[in-house]
Amino acid sequence: MVNFCRLTLGGEQETLHANKYQVVTNNPMVADAFGERCRVVFLEYGSDRDVIETVRDLVHQHHRVLTAPLAGSVKPWETPYRSVMVSTSKGSAIDTTSLELVEFALQIISQSRERLEPTKPSIDRDFQIIDLSLIESALPSVEAIGRV
Amino acid sequence: MKLEVGYIDIKGIRFGDYNAVEDGILIVNPEPLLEPVLEDPLIKSAHFEIATPGESIRITPVKDVIEPRVKVEGSGGVFPGMISKVNTVGSGKTHVLRGMAVVTAGPIVGFQEGIIDMTGVGADYTPFSKLHNLVLVMEPVDNFKQHEYEAAARLAGLRTAVAIGELARDLVPDETVIYETPTVAETFKEEWKHLPRVGYVMMLQSQGLLHDTYVYGVDAKRTLSTMISATEVMDGAIVSGNCVSACDKNTTYHHQNNPVIHDLLAVHGKKINFVGTIITNENVYLDDKIRSSDWTSKMASYLSLDAAIISQEGFGNPDTDLIMNCTKLEKQGIKTVIITDEYAGQDGKSQSLADADELANAVVTGGNANEVVILPPLDRVIGTLDYVDTVAGGHAGSLRPDGSIEAELQIITGATNEMGFNRMSAR
Repeated sequence: MVNFCRLTLGGEQETLHANKYQVVTNNPMVADAFGERCRVVFLEYGSDRDVIETVRDLVHQHHRVLTAPLAGSVKPWETPYRSVMVSTSKGSAIDTTSLELVEFALQIISQSRERLEPTKPSIDRDFQIIDLSLIESALPSVEAIGRV
Repeated sequence: MKLEVGYIDIKGIRFGDYNAVEDGILIVNPEPLLEPVLEDPLIKSAHFEIATPGESIRITPVKDVIEPRVKVEGSGGVFPGMISKVNTVGSGKTHVLRGMAVVTAGPIVGFQEGIIDMTGVGADYTPFSKLHNLVLVMEPVDNFKQHEYEAAARLAGLRTAVAIGELARDLVPDETVIYETPTVAETFKEEWKHLPRVGYVMMLQSQGLLHDTYVYGVDAKRTLSTMISATEVMDGAIVSGNCVSACDKNTTYHHQNNPVIHDLLAVHGKKINFVGTIITNENVYLDDKIRSSDWTSKMASYLSLDAAIISQEGFGNPDTDLIMNCTKLEKQGIKTVIITDEYAGQDGKSQSLADADELANAVVTGGNANEVVILPPLDRVIGTLDYVDTVAGGHAGSLRPDGSIEAELQIITGATNEMGFNRMSAR
């Protein structure tokens, strides 16, 4: 069983995040960098599949996916980290584009061969940095607009 | 735009006590070339090494490959906005040191950089094994931030290439080729009316601090899709800042020598009417993808294209941009051919792309990046083998005790290039 640790930063703090987006991640560096900025669903011991499945749950609750679930040219079997930005607001129905994206991402992950463990702590850190830089690259776009 | 490109063939590189090109030999005096590189506080050390085709040399980890060029006549300078002033390039005269490259090497992101073998099986898979390479090996200071050091290493490589290119300013070219791109009005002239109006959609990797491409010095992820002249690209208007996926990232050399552009220009006015080049980004944010692909299709429509070639960079979510570009053009009646590569598993049986559509029915592949290769041990390593176990395509145990490497093709720089700048494909 995967042990999920949901870091919502507490109910009272959550209300301070009147933000347009939330981030689902299993990357501690992303949880750290975005914790002050928005709601973070941090799956500390979760896999990339757990991240995407959590995003799918949110899509079922009518949230929209805002960033590509398989961001970057880092292959699913290489990196252990995934971070996805999801809208805070809910639509009146399931967003079909979001659903197609997460289902397709899950399909790709299930087709991928088993991930190989990084051999060095420095490489693990590099995977975290790349994943962080990918999700950070969406910030100017998401913060510039009035809606998501 | 009209650009006269004078090619000076380089037949060898050697160290000396001055910098010059003499009888096709590049003579390199490292000290004055390294001085500006070492002025950057993020670069702890730097030195040059020479790698000649056929030598038993393995270069790794490779960041970028750059062809030295110099603007001899016309406005602007090479790598506008990045090294030279931002003025428009693509007209006048440019000299090229053909047959060589400046290769930047050294650690940036542990798992991402590639390999260039100068001999053996690996050499067959990279076009850069056929070049005389001046390798700039750099080491960052301790506790560096990757994205800051990436900029330092990128600029060091470009500055070095500019300094080497400057040596070609007064040389007499071995071959001169004139490249000319038409205005939109000219593409409607009577003698080309029977030819299909073809455009080129060039997708640029733009997903994050280490997945970036720069156009006239602008980070492509902050741009809308736009048009660029083929000759501007030849003058270095597009520069790689990309540290991912060795096999299918477009190095600066790929941009300077974009084969789609060269092939389209070669048949322009004969088999096709090459109307123009659209550049578009590959962002992480989904609205950006939708906006950019919408914009690309709008521009293709403005140009009244009949057909377009779309080239991709990278893998994964860029496949979504690729399919969006393809389908939006197809739905307007513009026929497309996409150039991509495949991650179809080591047995080649898995789905090749992370996105697909039945309208994407004309596909050129650069090969399967998951194909396993065994690279023999080579006598000399330029750079370090520290990362071979962890670069994309390598894994724990990739580096065997005898120095040979078992890994996927994606470890090799340029192996499955999605501009078609290599020899692999499939029918």
